[in-house]
Amino acid sequence: MAGTSEPHASAFSAAELEFLAEDDMIEIVPNLRMDTLNFISGDFGPFRPQIATQVPLWLAVALKRRGKCTIRSPEWMSVDKLTQVLEAERDSEKFQPLPFHYVEISRLLFDHARDDIPDIYMVRSLIEDIKDVRFHKIGTGLEIISKERTYALRLKNLSAMEANIIRPFVTRALETFYKLGSSDMIKESDQAPNRQPQTTNRGPRRQLKDR
Amino acid sequence: MKIRTMKLRDAHKSDDSSSLCSVLWASNGDHIVTSSSSDNAICIHDAITPSNAPKFLRNHREGVTALALSPNSTCLASGSIDHSVKLYKFPGGNFESNITRFTLPIRAVAFNKSGSILAAAGDDEGIKLVNTIDGTIARVLKGHKGSVTCLAFDPKNEYLASLDSLGTVIYWELQSGSTLHVLKAIAPNNGSDVSVMNILAWSPDGELLAVPGLKNDVVMYDRDTAEKLFSLRGDHVQPICFLSWSPNGKYIASSGLDKQILIWDVDKKQDIERQKFSECISCMSWKPQGNALAVIDVMGKYGVWEPAVPSTMKSPTEDIPNLYSKSRHDFLLFDEGEEEPSASGSLSDLNEDTHGEFEEPSRKRLRRQSNYDDDAWDQDCNDELESIPKVEVHKKASYGKKDNPNGKSGSRKLMVAADQKMQEAFQPGATPAQPGKRHFICYNMLGSITTMEHDGYSHIEIDFHDTSSGPRVPAMTDYFGFTMASLNEKGSAFANPCKGDKNMSTLMYRPFSSWANNSEWSMRFEGEEVRAIALGSGWVAAITSLNFLRIFTEGGLQRHILCLDGPVVTAVGNKDELAIVTHVSPSLPTDEQMLEFRVFNIPHGSQTLRGRLPSTPGSSLTWFGFSEEGQLSSFDSKGVLRVFTNQFGSTWLPLFSASKLKKSEENIWVTGLNGSKLFCVVCKSPETFPQCTPKPVLTLLDLSFPLASSDLGADNLENEFMMNNMHLSRIQRSIEERAASGHDTTSLDDEAFNLETSLDRCILRLIASCCNGDKLVRAIELVKLLSLEKSVRGAIKLVTALKLPNLAERFNDILEEKLLSETVGNSKPKCNGSSKTSEVSRVASSIDHPLPSTTCFLGKRNAEELTKDRNGKIEEKEKTIELKASGKLKDQSVQVNKVAKFDQLTSARPANPFAKAATNQPNSSLFDSLKKINKGSNL
Repeated sequence: MAGTSEPHASAFSAAELEFLAEDDMIEIVPNLRMDTLNFISGDFGPFRPQIATQVPLWLAVALKRRGKCTIRSPEWMSVDKLTQVLEAERDSEKFQPLPFHYVEISRLLFDHARDDIPDIYMVRSLIEDIKDVRFHKIGTGLEIISKERTYALRLKNLSAMEANIIRPFVTRALETFYKLGSSDMIKESDQAPNRQPQTTNRGPRRQLKDR
Repeated sequence: MKIRTMKLRDAHKSDDSSSLCSVLWASNGDHIVTSSSSDNAICIHDAITPSNAPKFLRNHREGVTALALSPNSTCLASGSIDHSVKLYKFPGGNFESNITRFTLPIRAVAFNKSGSILAAAGDDEGIKLVNTIDGTIARVLKGHKGSVTCLAFDPKNEYLASLDSLGTVIYWELQSGSTLHVLKAIAPNNGSDVSVMNILAWSPDGELLAVPGLKNDVVMYDRDTAEKLFSLRGDHVQPICFLSWSPNGKYIASSGLDKQILIWDVDKKQDIERQKFSECISCMSWKPQGNALAVIDVMGKYGVWEPAVPSTMKSPTEDIPNLYSKSRHDFLLFDEGEEEPSASGSLSDLNEDTHGEFEEPSRKRLRRQSNYDDDAWDQDCNDELESIPKVEVHKKASYGKKDNPNGKSGSRKLMVAADQKMQEAFQPGATPAQPGKRHFICYNMLGSITTMEHDGYSHIEIDFHDTSSGPRVPAMTDYFGFTMASLNEKGSAFANPCKGDKNMSTLMYRPFSSWANNSEWSMRFEGEEVRAIALGSGWVAAITSLNFLRIFTEGGLQRHILCLDGPVVTAVGNKDELAIVTHVSPSLPTDEQMLEFRVFNIPHGSQTLRGRLPSTPGSSLTWFGFSEEGQLSSFDSKGVLRVFTNQFGSTWLPLFSASKLKKSEENIWVTGLNGSKLFCVVCKSPETFPQCTPKPVLTLLDLSFPLASSDLGADNLENEFMMNNMHLSRIQRSIEERAASGHDTTSLDDEAFNLETSLDRCILRLIASCCNGDKLVRAIELVKLLSLEKSVRGAIKLVTALKLPNLAERFNDILEEKLLSETVGNSKPKCNGSSKTSEVSRVASSIDHPLPSTTCFLGKRNAEELTKDRNGKIEEKEKTIELKASGKLKDQSVQVNKVAKFDQLTSARPANPFAKAATNQPNSSLFDSLKKINKGSNL
């Protein structure tokens, strides 16, 4: 994990997130006959031509690259569904439930399985729109941190990529607020202006994480 | 005779001049359709609640002169002064297409009895016969001097009668398109008056043609000879302008220019009822049910005269003649035309011809040298037109066959054959031809063969589902118009029906790879026609219209010719075996097809099986084939899958029923099956078959017996129990067979043992649910079915835990009995006692005992393994039960669930040592756990 060495820059890179997203399951229609594959993460298959089966995304992409399958685009990636989500996203304050890795999955599918997604341009632009709307919401939503004293943020249905982007800022901001608000700090600042932050900060920060 | 008055309602505006109006009943009697030649709107009135506002269809630019409804009332056709003929959906009224155009106003339109052909005519020269599916013009009939005012298809679909404004009647023969009889000036000459039309009508049984006579009478002409038979003369003082047969043909209504309607009893040649109106009635229509007549006058006012026939007399809709018994003969005459997807193509060729182009793509190869003079063209036309009735037969067959279980085929433009008849021959896995689209002519678990008609030729593509191992076969151009195909690993066979005299039925075989060049071969059949083909390892079979089964070798050698008992329905090959389904007799009045199947072993030259093929009443066979294990299976249009087994002296078991799935909006198109799953394509209703693109994705459905709803409420368990029993009996049979032939049965024994343990597990769960449901007798019966001693002990522990000591005691007795009989059985080999356990299971269980098994055909090593394996499992099971027994029984059902879960766990052999035991956490990567921590930190 990138964050262990340096606590404040705990963000993953996009590639790392994509790697994580590749463990999500997706349905493929193989065009080859193959026995069950035994992997550390589980058994997949058996594969029979024209019979749909569930595999992790990385396997689906690997098979797709070799022309051994077609990927069935997930249900939430249909134009109808996405239009609904986009509308709901615009209408309501809350975040709509989408797969945790929706950004990464759609990106992977756009890259590797263009021909398997019906109305790909429409789907792509819808996902872009949804992404924009959600980021905008996050941006405006973060204002509440500064308005009143906040120790934690609850953002339901936040996706991996979104959480990743706001994580460094939010954690640091919350930490700072906590520090400023804690009585220790006030005392410390009263007694010793030259603070020794790293060691004393450890405790409160952990508490925050557990919450 | 009394004279009453009738109130008429305004339907169409009329500008004070009389106009030609039309009225029609929908076949269910719910709607009345009216139109007027001075109004561009067609009006659909609700006949049940007349207060509802009618629906107006304003698609025509000028007045509507003619209306026709297809016989099943799903399609409405209208002809207009604006020179166009339009089709609408009915009763919705959505505009569908401009099916044809003329250069002058239309005066008459008519559907044939199957709804596949629409005839339209008017002031133009010539009557156009239009194919309603694709709008191609099948034929133009020329011969009338005046404008045609009425067209009538003979109910038996052999003739078309037409009448022009000069009073000339022409009988056309549909098959050849030639004129049979021309009766000049037998009807009133209306000259150029278009407000009244000359009319003619076939009696519903097709035996009489009624035409208004010159002496204000109705004259009846004979169907075949066109002789004048008799006339109905009475109180009409002016010529008759409209007449209509009652649906049963007993009465005829005639309206005259003298503004009255008379109803005649045709048998007595006597008028029985009359009605005076203020205006001349220009059109009438009998209600298809009940006793009512809809009328419309020249001012566009319509009304319903009810009862039209005095209620003391026989209803006009009683005893409607059933044409079916007679017409079956006709169908048989034409049914060479089955499975003829290119028919529409040939019709479109004709379409070009009628526009003066003598270039005929489909004929090129046959008559490249010939000069196209008029005679040749005529002959060509005749050839082509012969296919018209065939087309209808084919469509009826295909749609009747695919009749979906809900009968929701109303959205189809074509009628579903109302009367059940002997089903046509078909190839399993073929879909009906659709103009302009690719369709399957063969689909099996190996691959598919698709074809698409294009410019008179077809392009055939062969695709294997498994693209990596199947051979790549180049697309081929098909000059024959193949409609049947069969595919296996080695090659593909094709066949086409004959089309006319020139295009003989051909069988072709293409191997996918061969060491020799030119190993493709074809056979031509003179005077007979291929109906079904099948392919096996090293042989090709073709069943022909002469009921011959012809068997060819892979290289094209004619090997055998056998006679079959009846017309073939379908045939399918699997390795050495050929299965054929034939008709035994006409279908029963209860709509049951009488079918018979036979299985031949081709290399041995033997017939291994023969028997009647069961079917659901009202259904037809839609798929027939072998399962992956080689079991014969059939699927019918009611969605019931049957599999042939050796149980009970060779019977069919119903192993799947689509109606049990309770998904009425889905139709199942079967492609194959294996021991436990049905492979099919699920089509959204009303589609009954898949399209070629995108490639259909197969769905796996579990096989299940159509069990009755039991009071036990453990349907799944009961089904599993029966399935396991079935599999077990199959495996035991094959073990016996292999043992008899001296083969090694080790692998099968393993399988049998696994099945037995899973069967025991299932029985234990059933016992638990029986105990919970307080069905103790059933529990005892189940215990007797347990095959392993350990399972019986497990059952005893189970019931003890469930606090049923009474039952436990009985179980103990059963166990002792069993042990006793086993010791006896072991000391006396081949003693088939009353024990229900099979030989094999006894062998398996006897291993536990110190007594040596003399009947054992297991290897010693294997036996040891088995014992170890089994002991391990059973011990585990016992442990759970003990655990459970020690705990207080809080909720029995929960505990049973626990047992079930545990059983599943033990049964799931960890194939992968690294696999996680719990399946709900498949991702165990380092990153994942980190991710979780991170997620937690975000909260």
